[in-house]
Amino acid sequence: MAQYLAGLDGVFLALADPTRRAVIHRLGHGPASVGILARDATMTLPSFMKHVRMLESNGLIRTTKSGRVRTCELNRERLAVVEDWLAEQRRLWEERTDRLDQFVTNSEERNTT
Amino acid sequence: MNPDLDLSIERVIRAPRKAVWDAWTDPASLAQWWIPVPTLCRVDRLEVRPGGAFVTRMSEDGVTFVPHVDACFLVVDELERIVFTNTVDGGWRPANPDPVAMTAEITLHDHPDGTSYRIVVRHGDPAARKRHAELGFAEGWGTVADQLTRFAANPR
Repeated sequence: MAQYLAGLDGVFLALADPTRRAVIHRLGHGPASVGILARDATMTLPSFMKHVRMLESNGLIRTTKSGRVRTCELNRERLAVVEDWLAEQRRLWEERTDRLDQFVTNSEERNTT
Repeated sequence: MNPDLDLSIERVIRAPRKAVWDAWTDPASLAQWWIPVPTLCRVDRLEVRPGGAFVTRMSEDGVTFVPHVDACFLVVDELERIVFTNTVDGGWRPANPDPVAMTAEITLHDHPDGTSYRIVVRHGDPAARKRHAELGFAEGWGTVADQLTRFAANPR
């Protein structure tokens, strides 16, 4: 769960910036090169690359380099983490209940033997 | 219950109600099951009474502990019910919990096989929903999937 939480924090952090949201929005229409994406952003290419790397390191996008062109693509599975928040909360509580159940029944067995 | 925002879980635990209650209210016991291994749990405050603090921290290495839950008990009925929320922290300060604001209600009842254990978690509107709107996917993330599928089917 800690790993999951850390991962989710990263996703929210990545989505907390308007430049990065614009990239996600644009990639929702299909893959695009860094050059094209950077054209829409009002900043230098090195600054823009930091945003791209942040999105990539949090798994929201994948990038591939072909020659001199780096192409970005949306990772929809990762976005589902944000979408399926209720399912994730349910999983968290189900697993927590499993552990409580196991802890309590093990303690009971220890006490009765 | 709002099915879009809330969840409930019901379970029969094969142990007496007192044992389940103790597992929730004894700090050393709670630390054993509250967070999955190998992550370590430290229970900083477990003041099981209305207005009492519920603060836990977690650690990957046993040295550095980071915040986990910082919440406040709303209702405590001995051996029957625990209600807590993370919208107010252990010091009664209004909080903006991540990833989502919630109130959890835990109820225990006697059952022929042990204890009937029920959880209802009521959530606030998660940040995800607002982000969702901000991203401009008015019809939801499904639109993105459709767009991707169409793109894959019809390469430019």
